Amino acid sequence: MSAALSRGLCRALSRHTAPSSLLLGGHHRAGLSPWFAPVMTLKTSAPLRAEPKKKKKVDPRREHMLKERMRKKLKKMEKVAPEFIPLDDLITPTKCLDETRLERSAPRLSFGESEGRALLLKEWCRYKQEQHMAEVQAVELALEAQREALEELKLESEELYQAALKPDPLLFPFTHEGPAYTPPKSKYEAPDGKYNDITKVYTQ
Amino acid sequence: MASRSLLQFLSGFSRPAVGNASLRLFSSTSVCRATLQTHNVIERAPSPWTLMAAVCLQRLPVISADCSPIEQQFRQMMHQMEQEKSLLSDHELQLLEDAERMSRKQADDYDSDREDDHGDQEIVLAQDLEDSWEQKMKSFQPALRVTADADQDLTSSERCLADSLVLLAEQQVGGEPLWLLPQARWQEGETLRQTAERALASLPAGLKATFLGNAPCGVYKFKLPQAARTESTVGTKVFFFKAVLSDCGGPPAGPGGPLLWAKKGELRRYLKPAYMTKVDRFVLGL
Repeated sequence: MSAALSRGLCRALSRHTAPSSLLLGGHHRAGLSPWFAPVMTLKTSAPLRAEPKKKKKVDPRREHMLKERMRKKLKKMEKVAPEFIPLDDLITPTKCLDETRLERSAPRLSFGESEGRALLLKEWCRYKQEQHMAEVQAVELALEAQREALEELKLESEELYQAALKPDPLLFPFTHEGPAYTPPKSKYEAPDGKYNDITKVYTQ
Repeated sequence: MASRSLLQFLSGFSRPAVGNASLRLFSSTSVCRATLQTHNVIERAPSPWTLMAAVCLQRLPVISADCSPIEQQFRQMMHQMEQEKSLLSDHELQLLEDAERMSRKQADDYDSDREDDHGDQEIVLAQDLEDSWEQKMKSFQPALRVTADADQDLTSSERCLADSLVLLAEQQVGGEPLWLLPQARWQEGETLRQTAERALASLPAGLKATFLGNAPCGVYKFKLPQAARTESTVGTKVFFFKAVLSDCGGPPAGPGGPLLWAKKGELRRYLKPAYMTKVDRFVLGL
């Protein structure tokens, strides 16, 4: 049925184009064939074959890539930098900033008193400077004494001198309890102190 | 491990490329290696000085020193200034609050319903807390700072707790007893520090000390009078080593030369002048 239709179409088309070809001259075949070709190939082109569409390999890969990218983005968003542990000592509690705290009536200093304070500060400065100079001198003297001692030792014997120069590995770490206000009581038993440990422990 | 690395660092000045050094590193610390080698080659002439090592044992202060007048004045002034600039503490605020509440209670138009109180809970006043703390403090008796008897006892190491004391021993030198820092004669095969340790150990009192380093801190040269000089001995050289008293130990066991603990100012009374000038330099009176 379709064959008959196509043949009929062909004849009609050829009859139509005949006078035009005569006009053109010798272009019969060329004139006829463009009309033929699409008709003839109508049957054999791929779209008319009615096959199911093939899924190309690129698509699953592309989908995979898309999914990966989404996953990475999600991970980046979840990766929050760990919060810093707050240092309780450096945070001023809000209670201290309260204005009502500063209730100590600041006494007005008389002129004499403020003068006295300034003069005492200056005297203290002088006193401390003298102390410091004395300390520095004492240390220098001690160093000089040591240097002399080492010189004499060197004159005496070389090996003793070398032995003296060696550092003492057992000396450090060196600890010594400093002076307190009252001397330690012999046979004193310190009472056990009970305390509730309320330090906050932060985990990162 | 730390001491080992410290040793390597300190002794590796002239040899920066020392690898895994063994104990041999001890002998390679020479700054002037050439002289050491020549010394080994040439026979050392015996020196005419007899060597002795002495130990300068110090008991460091146990309590803080009293303030001088200017220090006391300054301390008072600083206390006042700080108090003026300070804020009220929690405890003080509580005291004020309590006082206010008491005054409100005493007032005629007192309405207990108005108070946002804790109901039946007993309120502990801050003043009561303070009183209980005062009581506790009074019941504790600290040891006395200054005990007049202990101060006079020269042989006890508990005297003058605010100053650093130096140990003196009376030893026989050239036939006559002299007060000096405990010393001992150097023997072959030991370092001077070991001699000093021996000097300390030879004292009757069981004193334990930490020696501060291998190097001597001072030297005292003593030339024998012309009559006593011989070919081999011209005099003695005494090298002093510093040590810090770490433990008093038990009571002095056994007789021996008398010992005493002296402050820096008191040293003059016991030591000979020439000796004193040398010792004075390294005994720090700080």
